[in-house]
Formats: sequence, structure tokens, C-alpha cells
Amino acid sequence: MALVELQGVAKVYRSGSGRRTVEVMALKGIDLTVEEGEFIAIMGPSGSGKSTLLHILGLLDRPSAGTYRLAGQDVTALDETEAARVRNRTIGFVFQAFFLLPRASALKNVELPLAYRGVPLRARRAAAEEALAAVGLEDRLDHLPSELSGGQKQRVAIARALAQEPAILLADEPTGNLDSESGREVMRLFSELHARGRTVVIVTHEPEVAAYAHRVIRMRDGEVVADEVR
Amino acid sequence: MRFADLFLTAIEALFAHKLRTFLSLLGVIIGVFAVTALISLGEIATYGIRRGLEQVAGRSIFVQGEWAPGQPPVRFREADRRLLSALPVRVIPYVFAFAVGRDERGKPVEVRVLGVPGDLPELDPGVELAEGRFYTASEAKRGLPLAVLTQAAKEKLKASVGKRVELAFGPRRARLAVVGTTKPLGGLFATFNRPQAYVPYRWIWQNVPSARRGRYDAFELKVRPGVEMKLVADRVKALLEKRYGEGRIQVQSIETFTQTLSQITLMLQALLGGIGALSLLVGGIGIMNIMLVSVAERTREIGLRKALGATAAAIRTQFLLEATLLTLTGGILGIALAAGVLYLVVAAVPFFEVFILSPKTVLLALGVSALVGIFFGVWPADQAARLDPIEALRYE
Ligand SMILES: Nc1ncnc2c1ncn2[C@@H]1O[C@H](COP(=O)(O)OP(=O)(O)O)[C@@H](O)[C@H]1O
Ligand SMILES: [Mg+2]
Repeated sequence: MALVELQGVAKVYRSGSGRRTVEVMALKGIDLTVEEGEFIAIMGPSGSGKSTLLHILGLLDRPSAGTYRLAGQDVTALDETEAARVRNRTIGFVFQAFFLLPRASALKNVELPLAYRGVPLRARRAAAEEALAAVGLEDRLDHLPSELSGGQKQRVAIARALAQEPAILLADEPTGNLDSESGREVMRLFSELHARGRTVVIVTHEPEVAAYAHRVIRMRDGEVVADEVR
Repeated sequence: MRFADLFLTAIEALFAHKLRTFLSLLGVIIGVFAVTALISLGEIATYGIRRGLEQVAGRSIFVQGEWAPGQPPVRFREADRRLLSALPVRVIPYVFAFAVGRDERGKPVEVRVLGVPGDLPELDPGVELAEGRFYTASEAKRGLPLAVLTQAAKEKLKASVGKRVELAFGPRRARLAVVGTTKPLGGLFATFNRPQAYVPYRWIWQNVPSARRGRYDAFELKVRPGVEMKLVADRVKALLEKRYGEGRIQVQSIETFTQTLSQITLMLQALLGGIGALSLLVGGIGIMNIMLVSVAERTREIGLRKALGATAAAIRTQFLLEATLLTLTGGILGIALAAGVLYLVVAAVPFFEVFILSPKTVLLALGVSALVGIFFGVWPADQAARLDPIEALRYE
């Protein structure tokens, strides 16, 4: 059974109102299957719909048409609360802009998704320490984001996703805000996670980043134009 | 998320902006301060009034003639005294006179002269001796020139027990032997500590030109224990009005005093409570404003939390808790401020005798502040809960 199955997934954005309403077809009927353990890079020019696709995969957004099955469950039309629950238990996000809580320590940031899962303090602290150790930040537990470098921030964000033990890791241009050395570090980390069996989907427009992946999906104007397995 | 975690999250958010948090609270602080102080002040005042009245009046009914245009003043007779004595009361007759004495420098001092029976402290527990004695019933019957002075009279006239004091009743001068002095009244009625002299009413009849022999100006009725004051008061009014005419008799008791006083207090409390409510409304709107600002500022944070699995309910609870904790803090500060101010007021103003801040008032104030937080926090919290996670993450 495939981990992710998209069938004819489309996304239409409407902006403006009345006669000036503009419809943007961000996704035009995507069919996509992701097996467990894959490491996928989604590439394509800006505006081709990569982020939109990732948001739908991560249940942050809903398709306008088509169906989405995640781990065998139809999640196309989950309500808010159910979607939040699936995000919390199944999906790990890593964003270009890190998105750490600025006033919380690295440890607290990593604990956050587990807190929303209702994990008691001791257990989630232990899990967060373990996740931070896995990204090589065991000596930065009490640092605030402002006291960390860009690469370290992104590793905290990855640790936060790891602590969730997610079925799938989704990353939207995770190296976009990093210098090339930090970017390589972060990508080595994703490779390592993949090697340990995680399913990883990364959106990027940098070929060097995509080179780490085993399968590259190319998009243009809301459509998949190429799907290569290396 | 567990409630304890939501609670901590809310507290952390409040501590992140201490100054702004505090400033946004001022409205609530002042509102709760007003409500608390005013309710408490009401309680303190009521207590002072009741204590004062009980001390002065006890279970007394005062009967006087009511002035009417073009009519001679009502002056009671011996027959009235006998009539009232048939009721379950002890009757103390009063004859009023007015005299002028001299202070040590020869300046005139106005003295109210009360003609009363002997052994008055036994009849009226409100009269307490400070020094000397009260003239006896038999001395009073003989109309001896004896006087008991109030504290104020003694001081103004530089009189002392065992000496004589000279008083002028119009053109007539009289010398009275001072046999005792009374204690001043406390609390609310401290202002009644005017220069006064108790003398036998017979002496007034015999020596004061304006007095009419055998006539009394007022009766004080000491109602026997267990007897309904109101019944007696109504009966007295009915009996005397039959003799002197409708509306010519004034009957006052502690009950009538306390009734009017508690009505006034209630009105005052309602008014002041209204002012408090108004500042709470303004404070609440301030809280709503600051919470809306906070939601807007933290749009990305909210988006992130949702992306990580926070439900709309968790976000809503977090922001509601923030608003409620905010106003509760304001409430506690307001109560503390009220306690401090009331303490100073009670210490400074003799009329307020005891400091009262009842648990009921504190609970009410806390409840009100929490309600303000919930009421004015609902909308901002709802705005936060409804944010679309993607929009929120994109938000610049
Ligand atoms: N919220 C939105 N409202 C309207 N149009 C949007 C919205 N989000 C994305 N789009 C449009 O959808 C298209 C795909 O956007 P996106 O998925 O962000 O592209 P990419 O990530 O590949 O750069 C773009 O044309 C973009 O302008
Ligand atoms: Mg994008």
C-alpha cells in the first residue's frame, strides 16, 4: 500500500471579487504516488505549484478536486480538528523560514508538537532531547533561536519534525535561507534520515539539493511534467 | 494539548510583553478598584452608621411636635406622659431650653439645656458618666439647681465637677452646681458633642422665663425588650395625633433612621458600582484591543502551531486563557489597590471605624475580572482560532 496516493488533485485559487475575480489553477489534476521510504525532490520554476502541492500533502490545505489517500485513509475531506490531529501525528514539516517560536528554547520548540499531542512533560522532554541529539544539537538545548545560526535553526526545525515520529517529512525549500555549507549539512541530515527509513519529500529549485533525492518530480504550471527515479 | 500546557503557554505570552501587558491592564485595575472600594466603602459606612445609631438611640423612639405654619408649637402635658406610660415603654420627658455661658476670656458660649428626670443614665444607656454623678430622682423632683455637663460644655465653660457654672437664660442669670460630666459620643455622632447641660426639668419650669410649667417638649420612649418597635411607634403616633391633630406629631426611631440610611447607602452603592462597571467596560475594550493586536502580531506563530497540530479549540483556549489571566491579574491588582486605599481612608476618617473587605467582595471582584476577560477575549480568540494555517504562515 502506497503511503501517499493523489488522484486528479486540482487546486483553484480565487482572488478579487465580483467581475474582477481572478481564478488561478495552481494545480491541474495531479496524480502522484509516494511509497514508504522514498526520498523525493519536487522541482520546478517559481509559481509552478510546488508549495501548493506540499501544503495539500501536509493537510494544511485542501484540494479543490480529486482525492488524497494518506496511509490508506481518505483524508480529502477531513474536518479542521481531524486534519490537525493527522498533521500532528503523521506529518513533519520543515519550512524555508524555519518557523521557530522566538522566545522558546530549542528544547521547547522541539517539544511543541508533542505538547499538542498531549504527551506529558517528562516524556516529551526526553523525546525532544533525543531528537536534538539526532541532529547534533545536544549541546544547544537551552539556546534561543536568536542564539543559533541559520543552519542550527533549520536543524532544530528538523528535530521538531523528527520528534513527532512522522510517517512523512515534508520540507519546502529547507535550504533556501541558508549559505551553501549549512545547506549541505541540512541535506546530509535529510539523507541520513532517509537512510534510516524515513519518507522525505523536499521542494527545491536547486539542482544540488535535488541531487540528494532518489526521485525527482518536475512541475510546470500546476502539472507534473517529469517523474524520474535514479 | 493539556490544560496545564495551555496555561503555561498563556503565561509565557503575557510575560513576553510585560510593560504592554501592564499598561493594557490599567482600565481593568481601575474598574476593579472602583467596584471593590465602593462596595467595601458601603459596607464600612453602613457598619459605622448602625454602630453609631445603636449607641445613641438603642431601642428608642423619639416623639416631638411637628411644626405647622400658623399653629402654636405642640407642647406635651402630664396627661400625655401618663397615656404613653401605659404602653410597654419607659417614658423620659424632655424640656428644652437655651442658655449662654462665658468661656475663660468672657466670650459667650451657647449651651443647649436639656431638662430631664434624675438618674438619667439608668433610664438611657446612651448617656454615660465620665466623672461625678447624675443628680438623683429626688433632687430632680425638688428642682434643685444642679447640672451635668457634656464634655464639650465642660471644656468650653472651663467648668469642673464640684464648682458652679453661670448661665444666662435671656435676661435671667442662674448659677448651677456641676455634679458630673458625660462621656462624648464616638463615631458618626461625634459631631453631636456640642455644649449641653442636663438639668432637672422642674428647675427649668421654675427658673426659665420661656418655659411653661407642666409642659414637655419631647418624649424619649425606651421600648421594652421583645416588643416590636414599629408597632409602638405607630400606636404613639395615632394616640397623640388624636389629641394634637393629624401630621402634628413626629415619631422617629432607629428603624426609621436605618431605613433611610440603608436606602441612601444602596443608591450610593448602585451609583458607584455603575461607575466601576463603566471603567470595566472601557478596560475590557482595552483588553480586547490588546488581544486583537496580539493575534495580528502572532499570526505566524498561530499558523505554525496549527501546522504542528494545534486544533482551533486549542488556539482559542490559549487566547481566552491569556485574556482571562490578564484581567484576573488586573483584578488582583485592583483589589490590592482598593485594600490599600480603604485602609488609609479608615485610618484617616473617624467616621469609618473598621476596615471591611469581605471575602464576598473579593470573590465578586475576581469573578467580575475573569468575566471581563472571557467576554472581551472571545472575539480575539475566535479570530486566532479561525486563522487559515497557510495564510498565517505566509503572513508578513
Ligand atoms: N493563496 C493564494 N491565492 C491566490 N493564488 C495563490 C495562492 N497561493 C498560491 N497562489 C498561486 O498559485 C500558483 C502556485 O503557487 P505556489 O504553489 O506557491 O508555487 P511555487 O511554490 O512553485 O513557487 C502561483 O501562481 C501563485 O501565485
Ligand atoms: Mg513555493
